[in-house]
Amino acid sequence: MNQIDLYGPYRETMTDVMRQMVRQIEAYSKEYETSHGEKLYEHLTCRIKSETSMIEKLQRNGEEVTAYSALRSMTDSIGIRIVSLFIDDIYENVRSIKALPNCVVVREKDYIRDAKPNGYRSYHMILDVNTASKDVDGNIPGHYFVEIQLRTIAMDTWAALEHEMKYKKSISNQELVIRELRRCANELASCDVSMQTLRRIIREG
Amino acid sequence: MKILFAEDESDLREVVAAYLELQGYHVDAVENGQEALAKATADAYDIIVMDIMMPVMDGISAIRQIRQAGCTTPAIFLTAKAEIADRVEGLDAGADDYLTKPFAMEELSARLRALERRKREYKVRILSFGNLELDTEASELRAHNSIGLAHREVRLLACLMGNTGREMSAEELLRTVWDNEPVDIDTVWMYISFLQAKLQSVQANVTIEGDREHPFRLREI
Repeated sequence: MNQIDLYGPYRETMTDVMRQMVRQIEAYSKEYETSHGEKLYEHLTCRIKSETSMIEKLQRNGEEVTAYSALRSMTDSIGIRIVSLFIDDIYENVRSIKALPNCVVVREKDYIRDAKPNGYRSYHMILDVNTASKDVDGNIPGHYFVEIQLRTIAMDTWAALEHEMKYKKSISNQELVIRELRRCANELASCDVSMQTLRRIIREG
Repeated sequence: MKILFAEDESDLREVVAAYLELQGYHVDAVENGQEALAKATADAYDIIVMDIMMPVMDGISAIRQIRQAGCTTPAIFLTAKAEIADRVEGLDAGADDYLTKPFAMEELSARLRALERRKREYKVRILSFGNLELDTEASELRAHNSIGLAHREVRLLACLMGNTGREMSAEELLRTVWDNEPVDIDTVWMYISFLQAKLQSVQANVTIEGDREHPFRLREI
């Protein structure tokens, strides 16, 4: 299979599914903004996983390099990231996403409550999204997986730096850097929780 | 165990130093406050033993400057002066104990042991309650997860963890944790709220009982 054509005929539908999800998220946020006077998230990004990264991931996991594996064994070919100001906003978004039509949550993991040992915090959801177009099993309507990551700005900043470290071939003092990153994650979490608490206190008057 | 010993009378200096070394201490003996100050700020000692009346720099000036330099090593004064005013001045300058000359060697070493005990107690680094661990040095709270704590949160939680058997009023916490700083009860309440949220965030099986109307106490859920 040609490297740049892993997703083949499904690529177009994947892009449609991603856009449809983003539109739905924007819609509930707009509605929330109208009724509550504030945004439910700070910004939102989305991407179709690059075929190079997907092939690398399939190989790493011992999977066949096919569109079927990419769209069935893997669940992150379509990704959306929602970055919010406060921790409470994350859970508000999770509630809204669960209420969306045309999709069901197949897996979710709260890495905010259960932070990873390295300090990573985020809320992950894998959705099974319905679409009018055909999927890789030949079903119409088709089913596509969409991975949604929700985090605060502080968690996003941390993840960006951790990502940078992970993909750098060699760093001096790696152990020290890892330890300090973990400490920073704990301090950022501390601030996130304090800011959340202060917001509640301010709102209670 | 390393002792810094300052005494200007050479006979006494040698006898005390020899006795303490016999007890297993490592002793750095100096002749006056100036030398003691230089040693104390350049090296780490476990205990400082110092005469008050010394040439060049007296013991009280020395301990005052040692404390100003941020050194918290326990210090004991040896003093020929039996006057209350001198002892008060010495203790207020930063000494932890004093011994009036002439003294028995056994009493000196008993007082040194007492200071060591106190020092170890001060240094309890990790406090535990329920599934909760408070690392006072790393300012970190750990249960299922871990999270950082602000300096004041560490002191407040350490205080509650040290008093789980009784209720503490907001006024008492204010006195103990804020050292009578000009803050009001609302500050205590806000920090209790911060801690409460952080206990939840690490999934501790411990909660802070109490509210604006009732005293506080740590309880296992």
